Amino acid sequence: MEELILDLKKQIIEALNLEEITPEDIDNDAPLFGEGLGLDSIDALEIIVILDKYYGIKLSNAAEGKTVFRSINSIAEYIAKHRTK
Amino acid sequence: MIRVLSTNITSPLGYTTDRNFRSVMEGRASLRPMRHWRDIPDSFVASAFSDAQMEGLMLDGYTKFESLVIRSVSEALSRTQIDMGSHKTLFLLATTKADVDELGSEKGKDRLYQAPGKSARRIAGFFGIVTAPVVVCNACVSGAGAQVLAYRLLEAGYYDQAVVCGADCLTPFVVAGFMSLQSLSPEECRPFDIERRGLNIGEAASTIIYGRCDGQDDAKGRWTLLGGCLNSDAYHISSPSPLADGAVRAMEQVLKDVDKECLACVNVHGTATLFNDQMESVAIEKTGLADIPVSALKGYYGHTLGAAGVLETVLSLRALDEGIVLPVRGFEEIGVSGRITISNQRQKTGKHSFLKLISGFGGCNGALLFAKGAEYRQESLFGPEKDIRLLKSLHLTDSFLKMDGEEKAVDAQGKAMLKELYKRSGLDYPKFYKMDVFSRMVFIASELLLKGIVLPAAEKRAIVLFNQFSSVVQDRKHIGTISGNGGFFPSPSVYIYTLPNIAVGEVAIKQGFKGETSLYILDERDDALMEQIVRTAFYESGPSVMITGWVDCVEEDVFEADLKLLTV
Repeated sequence: MEELILDLKKQIIEALNLEEITPEDIDNDAPLFGEGLGLDSIDALEIIVILDKYYGIKLSNAAEGKTVFRSINSIAEYIAKHRTK
Repeated sequence: MIRVLSTNITSPLGYTTDRNFRSVMEGRASLRPMRHWRDIPDSFVASAFSDAQMEGLMLDGYTKFESLVIRSVSEALSRTQIDMGSHKTLFLLATTKADVDELGSEKGKDRLYQAPGKSARRIAGFFGIVTAPVVVCNACVSGAGAQVLAYRLLEAGYYDQAVVCGADCLTPFVVAGFMSLQSLSPEECRPFDIERRGLNIGEAASTIIYGRCDGQDDAKGRWTLLGGCLNSDAYHISSPSPLADGAVRAMEQVLKDVDKECLACVNVHGTATLFNDQMESVAIEKTGLADIPVSALKGYYGHTLGAAGVLETVLSLRALDEGIVLPVRGFEEIGVSGRITISNQRQKTGKHSFLKLISGFGGCNGALLFAKGAEYRQESLFGPEKDIRLLKSLHLTDSFLKMDGEEKAVDAQGKAMLKELYKRSGLDYPKFYKMDVFSRMVFIASELLLKGIVLPAAEKRAIVLFNQFSSVVQDRKHIGTISGNGGFFPSPSVYIYTLPNIAVGEVAIKQGFKGETSLYILDERDDALMEQIVRTAFYESGPSVMITGWVDCVEEDVFEADLKLLTV
């Protein structure tokens, strides 16, 4: 799980151009949207691309995304359960 | 008065305005399912010309995009007499991505080939047009933006007639982009319906020819463009403001002094995305138009992008010629919170004025007001020419920075220089890092230009920029995410910046600019033409401060922003 979390953070940092931010800066349980990293709707769509590209998960239901994208931990748990690659 | 002399629609439903009108009256739509289309893995619904249609439409030596524009303009010209070789004839092309499909091809490796201004010049050459063409590139508002520009340049007397064509093609580039934004509906789109699931993309070219007519005699039977307004939400680059304040301001400005009861209908954008339709319903109610029939045409043609503002205006005017308000195809049950009267079946009207509303990525909104006959407002929105003064200038390139002509020391060069300037500015604006190089440049240049300046109210601040290469650097990046060895993984944050007006939108959001935010593409820098456009953008009740100038980014490390801050 720790390896998955580190990979995921690196992928998010790269895809969302979070220059200046390192994996250690992101708290696994902190909210990703609104506060914390202050991500917005386009970032959420970008995380959907990450799930597809690296883990073979197709997430098209925005309502489902809301709970999944709460924090790094919640995304990692979802990936662990649903990944196809 | 600015009058409509002739129109055309070239779409999969037909090649003339009349043919399109008859098709729509028969309830026909050009939407169809697309499976395994040009290597796109997922299926989608779109409006596209068939191969057989394209075979008949293609012109030797021209691309598909150019051929569609030439066909549309030629047909419109066949029914009016204007001197195409006159220095008083203007050609405006509204498009979001022009010939971007060529960029991935062999020919496209020469970046000049696909530049939209180059296409416009080739098309103008076909018709023997001698004036420099202007490409209006403001995402989905482009078609309305071009008509506003035509209105101003004719009204100011710089030109006597304007040929305005809006066109865009269905391309993997655009389909992949909208897929990554999760905006595409898996079925035929359903504007304003409770079960709407997004938009369909469409391709078309549509033309409207305007002329300045001073006498009353020729008013009979012709539509008059009474005015237009462009502005910005300054809210978000891809979501409309839920308060709809920009759309409301745009409509209120063009409806000034007009009795709303005279409106036969409002033709809205109605893309069938959750956010757009909701925002428009709020805008309609807030503007006091809740009881005016609302029509939307995406259920017939899909979203024709740069063509939409022209095509939907042309078809609405044609229907009103017959006293008809067209129904919203795909609509059954209301699914928006604003009070609004959807035209859910064909209805007759005896009224002769019409409002077009449109909005687009970058946060821009546009409204146009038309009337037939002479019984409406005679007074122009335009007003007398104003005295424009320079407040400040800035010249930033990949190798130097000058403020008011004085060189400022910068350590880094190229892309790294933008980051250095950002850090030195002391800003804490993490979104800066999400922007493409072109937007970063426009953003930081504007930040430096505005430093220490006291600005008027947000609604009085405008941005009007010009360039040559659109968003070519980002276009190549997006193509890299949808073709080649990496597979098909289009990125929404890469795609959104392939609309060059997003850079303008970023400045509007950061600096709180809620007036006009426009990006025009020229075949080459032309200061005299730029001055005409800027002068006319300072219209009556328009902006009192404007950021304007030339902004281009050709490679990640090759760019230039030559900006002025003007005031009246």
